Amino acid sequence: MTTTEKPMTLKSLTHKNDNLSGGHRMCSGCGAPTIVRQVLLACDEPVVIANATGCLEVSTCLFPYTAWKVPWMHSAFENAAATASGIETMYRSLRKQGKLKKEMKFIAFGGDGGTYDIGFQALSGAMERGHQLLYICYDNGAYMNTGIQRSSATPFGADTTTQPVGSAVQGKTQRRKDLTRIMAAHNVAYAAQASPHNWKDLMTKVKKALATNGPAYMGVVAPCNRGWRTQTNDSIVLSRLAVDTCYWPLYEVEAGKWTINYDPKERKKPIVEWLKPQGRFKHLFAPGNEGMLEKFQKLVDDDWESLHKMASAFGAK
Amino acid sequence: MKGNEALAEAAIQAGCSFYAGYPITPQNEIPEYLSRKLPAAGGTFIQAESEVAAINMVYGASACGARAMTSSSSPGISLKQEGISFLAGAELPAVIVNMQRGGPGLGNISASQADYFQAVKGGGHGDYRMIVYAPYNVQELWDLTLLAFDKADEYRTPVMVLGDGILGQMMEPFEPTPYVRPLLPEKTWALGGCVNRQPNVVRSLYMADGELERRNGLLQEKYRTMKARDVLYQTYDVGDAELIVVSFGIAARIAIAAVRKLREEGWKIGHFRPVTLFPFPERQLRELAGPDRRFMTVELNAGQMVEDVRLAVNGRSDVLFYGRPGGAIMTPEELYERLKDELKG
Repeated sequence: MTTTEKPMTLKSLTHKNDNLSGGHRMCSGCGAPTIVRQVLLACDEPVVIANATGCLEVSTCLFPYTAWKVPWMHSAFENAAATASGIETMYRSLRKQGKLKKEMKFIAFGGDGGTYDIGFQALSGAMERGHQLLYICYDNGAYMNTGIQRSSATPFGADTTTQPVGSAVQGKTQRRKDLTRIMAAHNVAYAAQASPHNWKDLMTKVKKALATNGPAYMGVVAPCNRGWRTQTNDSIVLSRLAVDTCYWPLYEVEAGKWTINYDPKERKKPIVEWLKPQGRFKHLFAPGNEGMLEKFQKLVDDDWESLHKMASAFGAK
Repeated sequence: MKGNEALAEAAIQAGCSFYAGYPITPQNEIPEYLSRKLPAAGGTFIQAESEVAAINMVYGASACGARAMTSSSSPGISLKQEGISFLAGAELPAVIVNMQRGGPGLGNISASQADYFQAVKGGGHGDYRMIVYAPYNVQELWDLTLLAFDKADEYRTPVMVLGDGILGQMMEPFEPTPYVRPLLPEKTWALGGCVNRQPNVVRSLYMADGELERRNGLLQEKYRTMKARDVLYQTYDVGDAELIVVSFGIAARIAIAAVRKLREEGWKIGHFRPVTLFPFPERQLRELAGPDRRFMTVELNAGQMVEDVRLAVNGRSDVLFYGRPGGAIMTPEELYERLKDELKG
């Protein structure tokens, strides 16, 4: 950190400016604006945002209005990381020329469609080139903006409009892509997973990511009541359950050092507790689909075990 | 049934066995419908990771002999342009659906006709053309989709169905006429295994001296044949008309309503609707042109087809334009007033 930090408390945060104003058009109960607020509250330096096409972009910037109180730029679906790369490079150039004195930070936001799928190439390029930027994916596990089509972040078994439940197929047949690990494999300065239910963890990670020397990536689980078929007041409960079931472990990879930030240990909940409240998994509880539930649990257990192995092999000694 | 769903079902009826797409509004009903129905009909549905991937999946499937289709809306169609050029260059049949929305850039998700230039002048690189069908109701979304697959195979060329957000989203009655497969040549060029024969080669790369120019000559020959044989259009009351309104797609729905009202009031006005935007009905428009007659194109853009109408009449008539760009739409009443002013002189 460049400044001496006071401990982060909820009380101290109430004195900070909220840089995403109310009145935006995100659905009630959407996880994304909660995540964005936490991220922006964690920024101490001036910050510039690049935003991929998606729910967050269309719903926070209905011309001529904007909910953003910080500089914000959108260009297209596939290129938030490229746009942020361009902005960050120009910033470095202006600094070098002595035309800009201020220290600034650069964050790109994308949904899972714009990050895991169509924006993957731009993201990989930006991470490899080593721009001083933080890419944050708010991951709701489908193309929610266009009507709940599957993405490569969609969990196994989920019902979507392009991999629907029918007589032959019971939702998504593939497992989700593990993007945080793929980002870690780029040997970025910082890669982490976070969840909006644990604001302190999420905001600490944003601070670390912005303070690190090099590119950073964060995947944040973002409940979507439209796509997940859940109640609008369940977002935080569901993001907590995603972590407690180890579907979405909180961990970070700092310069190759793997740390599990929260280990529920014997309190680890069975995956059905996360699946059950979600309408998109309703069919998994129908007779005959027990095997799918078992498979889902096994996928989670295997990933969790593998993460532990990484943390013990490459963790703090 | 929505227009998008009618089009998707028509594709299945026409024997489309491969579809690859990517989500974008206002055409999502097409991939959603096909994800449910195409596998049941024995076909393959793939949601790609991007529009670029989807068009190249179509390239691969078509090279293997499948009747292949992709669909998108304006920004997504921009991303597909390289693949479309490759399809044209390699002479591979494919159907590409563009349910246009407002542009440029992200624009909006309202209906638009601003991709006319991109569709008919060849949005990708190189000297190529596509047959471009412009349906104006759900019936034509059905009929022209059936036809698009046949023409794609007949000419070994990408064919575009150019709709818009309203057509895709609207519901209206239509007759799902059964598909009758015409006699088409066998796809002997397709890559389907080469046991007991010479391997086939599908390519658009021609490096030897003069080879590419010869290849382009063959393509141009094909486009001349399309111009001679495949022009489709419809006219209303053009016989004695002093003013002929020219419009396609959803703009024609609006324009025809205004023209009919004026005709009922006794004004000498008619309507000309190109159904194929390439090949464009240039000869038919030229034959209608004369010093006592004016034309006015009505488009949901800033003036694109008007250029082709001007080229067609080649100075023999004045050609006016009325349009609403950027996903805005005109009302029949608004157009009625505009046309009446013109008729009064």
